[in-house]
Amino acid sequence: MSWKGVLKKLKEYPAIVGFVGIVILFSLLSDRFMTLSNFINVFRQVSIQAIIAFGMTLVIISGGIDLSVGSVFAFSAVLMASIVKNGSVFLGILAALLVGALLGAINGFIIAKGKIQPFIVTLATMAIARSLTLVYSQGMPITGFPQSFRVIGRGDVAGIPVPIIIMFVVFGIVFYISMYTKLGLYTYAIGGNETAAKLSGVKVDRYKIIIYMISGLLAATSAIILTSRLNSAQPTFGTGYELDAIAAVVLGGASLAGGKGTVVGTLFGALIMGILNNGLNLLNVSPFYQQGVKGIVILIAVLIERES
Amino acid sequence: MKKILELKNITKTFPGVVALNKVKFDLYEGEVHALLGENGAGKSTLIKIISGVYRPDSGEIFINGRNSFFTSPTEAIKEGVATIHQELNLFEELTVAENIFVGNIEKFVFTKSRMIKITEKLLNELKFPIKADEKVKNLNTSEKQLVSIAKALSLNAKIIIMDEPTATITEHETKRLFEIIKDLKKRNISVIFISHRLEEVFEISDRVTVLRDGMFIGSGKTSEISKEELIKMMVGRKIEEMYPKFNVVSNKEIFRVENLEVGNFVQNVSFNVNKGEIFGIAGLVGSGKLEIALGIYGYLRSKWDKLIIDGQAYMPSKNMLKYGVALVPEDRKKMGLVLDMDIMRNIILQNANEVTKFGKISWKKSKEITNEEVNKYSIKVSSIKQKAKTLSGGNQQKVVLSKVLRKKPKIIFLVEPTRGIDVGAKVEVYNIVNRLANEGVGVVFISSELPEIVSLCDRVLVMHRGRATGILSKEEINQENILKLATGVDI
Repeated sequence: MSWKGVLKKLKEYPAIVGFVGIVILFSLLSDRFMTLSNFINVFRQVSIQAIIAFGMTLVIISGGIDLSVGSVFAFSAVLMASIVKNGSVFLGILAALLVGALLGAINGFIIAKGKIQPFIVTLATMAIARSLTLVYSQGMPITGFPQSFRVIGRGDVAGIPVPIIIMFVVFGIVFYISMYTKLGLYTYAIGGNETAAKLSGVKVDRYKIIIYMISGLLAATSAIILTSRLNSAQPTFGTGYELDAIAAVVLGGASLAGGKGTVVGTLFGALIMGILNNGLNLLNVSPFYQQGVKGIVILIAVLIERES
Repeated sequence: MKKILELKNITKTFPGVVALNKVKFDLYEGEVHALLGENGAGKSTLIKIISGVYRPDSGEIFINGRNSFFTSPTEAIKEGVATIHQELNLFEELTVAENIFVGNIEKFVFTKSRMIKITEKLLNELKFPIKADEKVKNLNTSEKQLVSIAKALSLNAKIIIMDEPTATITEHETKRLFEIIKDLKKRNISVIFISHRLEEVFEISDRVTVLRDGMFIGSGKTSEISKEELIKMMVGRKIEEMYPKFNVVSNKEIFRVENLEVGNFVQNVSFNVNKGEIFGIAGLVGSGKLEIALGIYGYLRSKWDKLIIDGQAYMPSKNMLKYGVALVPEDRKKMGLVLDMDIMRNIILQNANEVTKFGKISWKKSKEITNEEVNKYSIKVSSIKQKAKTLSGGNQQKVVLSKVLRKKPKIIFLVEPTRGIDVGAKVEVYNIVNRLANEGVGVVFISSELPEIVSLCDRVLVMHRGRATGILSKEEINQENILKLATGVDI
């Protein structure tokens, strides 16, 4: 392949280029950066956002958006926490996953059947789910879980923390869905041209419900990890997570107009965000600047993509 | 007479198509110059170049002898070139006076009463029977055209381009329009007149220019050319070659619908289609002919008393696809294809069940199927991974046809299937249509192109304002009869 060919290929995956660039930059700037323990640290932190972002990827490819993931995250966390605290780890986790999927399905149902813009619907359910969380928890954190539950967030297999393993399992599943299943094909088609998809016989409403359901389910999955890791479920959990997820998806090369995007891109998008956090902290950059740096990186990424 | 506009060697290409190839055109002061050609001949592209919407790739444009071209429609209007589009670009919620003065206010002392006064004066002078303070949404198509003309004149237009002005108005209104055009000539204004109807061209134009497949074919005084010559110039080949017809109509019915109603678009329409038959549906823009297909397919909400496919009765459903109804939609870019997806995925999109087991798609099988379809319909592609948007119109349409036909439908609705594709691809589509009919598929051919309806169809249902005004038998099918029914005149 010619030099130009390589460049062109890389342009299709700007997130990977960005990731490599930022890794090189930080390893030059800080000698504490390029260590195994630091990388495991970064991946573990990223796992929470990445799992949400994988679900968001499908939603955004389908031409939608899910602003409710942060609140769904919080509600499944407090619901699970109360059940786990009262004795049943299994039932607690099951409840979290079910309620996440249910809230997602409700989003999808209103969007598909009510023909309302996803932005508006999930803005509303974001507020509603947050309220549910505050009412259910009485605004108080729920803490203190059995050891068997805390393994999810704190345990490791052969030195690899469980959250990272879960992240890669979820990545594998969503990657498979997007590349090798009817659901994946239909997701791209709905985002690319909904009318054409419908006229081709795709049951657009049904698939939209499934897509938002997956998004809710993954928000809950992520909530399980964080709750276990912190040994506490806070009613303020997940605030702003929807924006982190959207940022990761967009950094990964997806278009908010739909029809475009990859799960691989999202993984690297999330990693870029995580590494920026980590590297800026290592360099003792004031938190006052950190948000701004992230914003600039997003803008640069989107500008590069627009060109290609 | 003075030459006020001259185009030389104009070439314009779009991805996959040469829209204009070294075309020339000229216009004298105070003349009506008809621009003729079939759909896809390049007429629209040419007028878009004259009116500043497109820039030519090469060639020269002289305005009043000066070599120049417009970089935007606004500049064209400033230089006195106004276009009356088919879809009239007026503000529905504003009054006639406001529409005429939009973008032109600074020249006048702006008060509402003064604006209405000036407009009234202009309308009186032109003898247009419109009130200056009427809202445009309360006017009919013909009256809206007059508003556009008045607006053009208020902007001191020297050249007025009329893009198929008679396509959507009645015969009576056409007569009035022609009186107005004659009046414009007296004011030394030049008109470029585009129409499919040769009678009108002979009635109103001084000269005529014919385009075909993006090429200049000929030009001359209308009084010195015969109708037959014009048709030959436009079509470029013998009718039999242009419209192959080899289907054999049987007396076995494959499809019947009674009392079809589609939203507010279609009321009380009934028809049947026999095996081997090519059944046409004609009608003007907005007549409901497109909605018949979308209604039966289940995309638009519809009702019927009875719908029978191959002896089996069906109730309205959102998904008639699974009962053997197929649709080739009107606009392949907006409704037929996912342009950003590759050819393979577009074909598999409609046929996913064929390659899917437990939700998993076999891409190997998908490739086989796609290659099969690409060969079967000789779709010209560099790779089946090529994005649909990179194909030419004709090849895009063949992708749509192949993905739809792979489902082996019992009845197929083809809506404007040859719009915007080149002549060669058109003939291929006609061949496919004939073959389908002979294979026993019910074919409903819905089109605005009267020549193809007339040549291809065995019977034609004509729509007018949402209702069927008649079904013409093979012997009765001609452009005149169709137009009469389409404009609501009894034969």
